[in-house]
Amino acid sequence: MHGEYKMPGGKLVVIDLDVRDGRLANVQLSGDFFLEPDSALRTIDAAMEGLSTETDEVGLAGTIRDALAPDVMMYGISPEAIAAAVRRALQAEHAA
Amino acid sequence: MMRTGWRDHDWQLLHTAPQSPTLHMALDEVLTHEVGIGHRPPTLRIWEWAAPAVVIGRFQSLRNEVDAEAAQRHGIEVVRRISGGGAMFIEPGNTITYSIYAPLSLITGLSFQEAYAFMDAWVIEALGELGIRAWYQPLNDITSEGGKIAGAAQAHRGGAVLHHVTMAYDIDATKMLDVLRIGREKLSDKGTTSAAKRVDPLRRQTGLPREAVIQRMIDTFRRLHGLAHDDLRADELVRAEALARSKFGSVAWLNDVA
Repeated sequence: MHGEYKMPGGKLVVIDLDVRDGRLANVQLSGDFFLEPDSALRTIDAAMEGLSTETDEVGLAGTIRDALAPDVMMYGISPEAIAAAVRRALQAEHAA
Repeated sequence: MMRTGWRDHDWQLLHTAPQSPTLHMALDEVLTHEVGIGHRPPTLRIWEWAAPAVVIGRFQSLRNEVDAEAAQRHGIEVVRRISGGGAMFIEPGNTITYSIYAPLSLITGLSFQEAYAFMDAWVIEALGELGIRAWYQPLNDITSEGGKIAGAAQAHRGGAVLHHVTMAYDIDATKMLDVLRIGREKLSDKGTTSAAKRVDPLRRQTGLPREAVIQRMIDTFRRLHGLAHDDLRADELVRAEALARSKFGSVAWLNDVA
């Protein structure tokens, strides 16, 4: 499943994931954004793994924000933009 | 950290014979590290390409961004760089690429947006001297009335910032669109994507040979910030060559974001 969200004034945020037993699995964030340090990418992927597919955007963004160390810097991407891409990936599945 | 200015540093120029795409990726990692630990003075490196390449950003998905079959058909190597940002389509002679390796003190206190514009102010001035009215288009583009000229990316490593830029000198747009996958969502905000944005290459805008544009850029950097000729140290090259093989030429790194 695949979802994309172009953050206004920002970069493209892409989510690829599977759903297993109503939970997010194999979540992969990608895109042309900037993230420091680069290890934060794996932290974000891991934070979303196993979340219920019913989690709303506020809940998704909050979970991502809580998982990130205070020194992580984002440019052209935000927890809210990632959450929007996740919801789009899940909606694409329902529409299919 | 105390903020430093350009003139507080002893800038060095590296401009060597054409090198492979994986070696360029490795040199960025090695030289950023060397500047970060104070083993090398801040440096401007002008790249010369030995082979065509698609350079994808640190966080881009290989399968989402690149048509691997088309890249192979055109003989184009796909490599992943250490900075974020979008895919670049490179053919030798068609792009002007440079890296700046600087202590973080040069951009301390600046926002990301300010830091990008600050690191390329000298290029905007050089383009002006070539008769091109260019400006910074946040987040990370250099653009002009005719269209986009360049894309920039930064990465912080240790005590250093890597700022590198690829400028379009000339472009084979048909081949580029064959190799890069351009998604529809990307088009929703600005009507274009990084690679396919209406590009107005420097050859058309200046009528000058590529070498003359590069010489103007070097002269402008030297006038504004000071610049001395330098060579890669033997140990830097050895480490970069090893890293080009073990990391940047590896399937694991290329597929790090599958």
